[in-house]
Amino acid sequence: MEGPRWEEGGHGIALHVARRLIYRAGQLGAVLMSVATLLFILVRLSASPAALLAGAGASHAEVRSAHVAYGLDGPILQQYVTFVTRALRLDFGQSPAHQAAALEVVRLRLPATLMLTAAALAATALVGVSLGVWLGLRADRPEHGWAFRLLLTGQSLPALIVGLVLVQVVGMTSAMGASAPLSFTLSALTLTWWLTPRAARLTAGPVAGAVRQTWVLTAKAMGATSRDVLWGHVLPNSLLAALALVGVQVAFLLSAAVVVEWLFGWPGVGNLLAVSMQARDFPVVEAAIFAIAFLVFATYAMVDLVLAAVDPRLRRRATPP
Amino acid sequence: MTGPVLAHEMGLSRRLLPAPAIPRPGLLVGGMVGLMAVAVLGLVGAGIVQEHAAPAQRLLAPGTIGHPLGTDQLGRDVLARTLAGFRWSLAVVLPATLIAGLAGTGIGLAAAASLGWTRVILERATETAAGFPFLVLAAPVIAIVGRGYWPLLIVLAILASAPFALAVFDATWGGRGRMPVFQALYAVPAALPVVGAFIVADLVVTEACLSFLGVGAPEVAPSWGNMLADARQNVTTAPWILYAPAAALVLTVLSANWFGEGLGQLWRVKAR
Amino acid sequence: MSTAVAEVLRLQELRVQFPDASGRSVVALDGISLAVERGEAVGIVGEPGSGKTLVALSVLGMVPPPGQVSGSIRLLGHELVGMVEPEWWRVRGRDVAMVFPDARRSLNPIRTVGSQIAEAVDRHYEGYPYAMTRRWVRERTLEALAWAGVSRPRQRFGHYPHQLTGDLRQRVMLALAGANRPPLFIADEPTVGISDPVQAQVMLHLLRRVLGAAALILTTRDPGVAAAVCQRVIVIHAGRIVETGPTDRVMTSPRHPYTAELLELTPRTGATDVGRARPGCAFASRCPNAMEQCRRLRPPLELLEDRPVACWNPWGS
Repeated sequence: MEGPRWEEGGHGIALHVARRLIYRAGQLGAVLMSVATLLFILVRLSASPAALLAGAGASHAEVRSAHVAYGLDGPILQQYVTFVTRALRLDFGQSPAHQAAALEVVRLRLPATLMLTAAALAATALVGVSLGVWLGLRADRPEHGWAFRLLLTGQSLPALIVGLVLVQVVGMTSAMGASAPLSFTLSALTLTWWLTPRAARLTAGPVAGAVRQTWVLTAKAMGATSRDVLWGHVLPNSLLAALALVGVQVAFLLSAAVVVEWLFGWPGVGNLLAVSMQARDFPVVEAAIFAIAFLVFATYAMVDLVLAAVDPRLRRRATPP
Repeated sequence: MTGPVLAHEMGLSRRLLPAPAIPRPGLLVGGMVGLMAVAVLGLVGAGIVQEHAAPAQRLLAPGTIGHPLGTDQLGRDVLARTLAGFRWSLAVVLPATLIAGLAGTGIGLAAAASLGWTRVILERATETAAGFPFLVLAAPVIAIVGRGYWPLLIVLAILASAPFALAVFDATWGGRGRMPVFQALYAVPAALPVVGAFIVADLVVTEACLSFLGVGAPEVAPSWGNMLADARQNVTTAPWILYAPAAALVLTVLSANWFGEGLGQLWRVKAR
Repeated sequence: MSTAVAEVLRLQELRVQFPDASGRSVVALDGISLAVERGEAVGIVGEPGSGKTLVALSVLGMVPPPGQVSGSIRLLGHELVGMVEPEWWRVRGRDVAMVFPDARRSLNPIRTVGSQIAEAVDRHYEGYPYAMTRRWVRERTLEALAWAGVSRPRQRFGHYPHQLTGDLRQRVMLALAGANRPPLFIADEPTVGISDPVQAQVMLHLLRRVLGAAALILTTRDPGVAAAVCQRVIVIHAGRIVETGPTDRVMTSPRHPYTAELLELTPRTGATDVGRARPGCAFASRCPNAMEQCRRLRPPLELLEDRPVACWNPWGS
């Protein structure tokens, strides 16, 4: 009768983590398959598939070799299988513009993007989350009204506009001519602007919810100071819930980064994608999309891991009661 | 720390507590006024004849007679082009939202109504699609297909149907399992305008971003994104090109977001 | 704590009001007076919304924000009304502790039960250098768990609330309240989270055990629960005491029609609109014994033969 319904063991959490990771991997696989299929259809519909596949500026020989490599003389089904397997093997071919393997071109740009998003995330964790906690604790107060509207307004200013205003303020004539620290600072600033109101609003909800929980009352009734209640009870619980919500926004930060990196000339993957698609450098475009998809689901998997590590309730789901 | 809601949970009578915080209708009303302004400006924009490039009138400063907001690097009037941008934006975004709404509602309801593995697969697929920033795929697709009204419309519609489907599914599934049909009949129509408003705001921005990157509207089209790209090119010589399209874009996005949030708050209070 | 004083808590003319938007105030508790001695269990019985929980929250200084408390609350001889929040922090959990209902929602889901009890022990711990306290706190926590009837306390220390059954969670809740051996316990619907009736009985038995060295106030809507533990009951309706006396007398021969209704001797007819200012008896609108006078004049709490009752036309007269 009494006693836990199951004894806590190591395999509960392991099973849960394994399931989440498999789910994320499945999502990544499904997205990559869909992307590859869509790109294949587009390639087939284009006037000269081989020229598109080889990338803009390819020599006649390079187009010819792409034609052979993708087996464009074979039956359509075989072409499809060839295309998808090549993509899933991360063999995107050579970029004529860069004179290098497309995957290698993208890989060299990854650190810049990671650095940029890490900076934006750190700044948001500082500003956005604090704002959200402040807002959540005042859910019943009058200042909540205008603070909330201010955030909603901030969120409604697109990153593109914020970036352009920054460009104008700084007087950056050409993206390419900007110094790296300047372009990094402005990019990070714009992305932080993009993420902060979203993170703040998504944090405020769980915080306001946690404050109303009965266990907060219990802690208070046992003599917890308001600081103990906030740091020991409200924040751990609500930030856990907020993390799950903000994780999705972080994935979308990567798509905002495409515009922002291009605008400020920061040499990340997003910038590479923007430049390559304008130049119709197909191998690099395909590799960049795959890289971003990988980053997105890696982010989700990381959020899953953190949640599993911190939230004991998740472990229960892994074992039947 | 203890708020009124908590007191209610503690068994205190509802009568003792201050009335539930009814959201001041500011957001909703503000959003509606803004959206009406956008609609009117769209109608005005529809009546404007597209000016062609006039090399003699390039980069005139604001305040020039006949060009209150100046002209761009091809001699086109910034004000006229911005107003025409309302029409262009609405003509792309509204049909895209409508198509996405229909498709998304269909998928969401199908997911909610189906059983067993079908539901799991539909739900997971919707979740995956809604969680992936498809902008990074949409931009290259238009780059390959070529820019234009129809590619843009279709891409945006596909882009927006996943969040629609997810919202409809969440509204009917209610977190705890399938909702009775009669309840869903209220929940879905209540959720749609809220999601719709947010998606309109999102698509307006997406359209501008795509056009800005040169993979959206045709070069001659009066898209705000095109105008912002022009502004970027002439940032030091003609800073005025930026302001009008930026303000128009912000007005539209802000109104749609305020409207959606205001309506959402209203439903939440009514649900209590 | 000073144990020489037999009287643990004395409420005098306790009054809680909530100012509403129009500036009028809604009176939630009106003239509650009661005294509890060491070793005594007093039940506060009333329907939901009658104000019984508010009595508990007043003693803890946790009346929700717009509420204003007046009158006198003396705990171990110290006046509590008018204390500021930092002063309350020392009182709560040390001099008075509350057993919350439904421990599933009353314990923090992401912290082990041990850490939650240890937190309460640690907070009121004074004296030894820090290096010695860790172990001491842990031992006190284990003692508290064992005291509340939690078997295998060393193992439970590291468990999360969701891993325990409902009755075990409620015992953890009791262990938390008793962690610092407070002289006054307040138990609010202690059996609500427990589905098994036998376990509910066990819970009440455990509650009776605190009476050796402490006093207990038990608030409940179920007179049966109060009868199982308390020597005295106070029946409360619309923020006022309507009848009070020894449990067995009140249970066997209720005088106030509201008490009779709670005991399900008479059918329940409607609910009282709490907080509305009215001239007469708040119960008059649904009272089977109501007379013309009941609607005009508020009955005072007066000694009626063996116990105080606030009624113009009580049963048995």
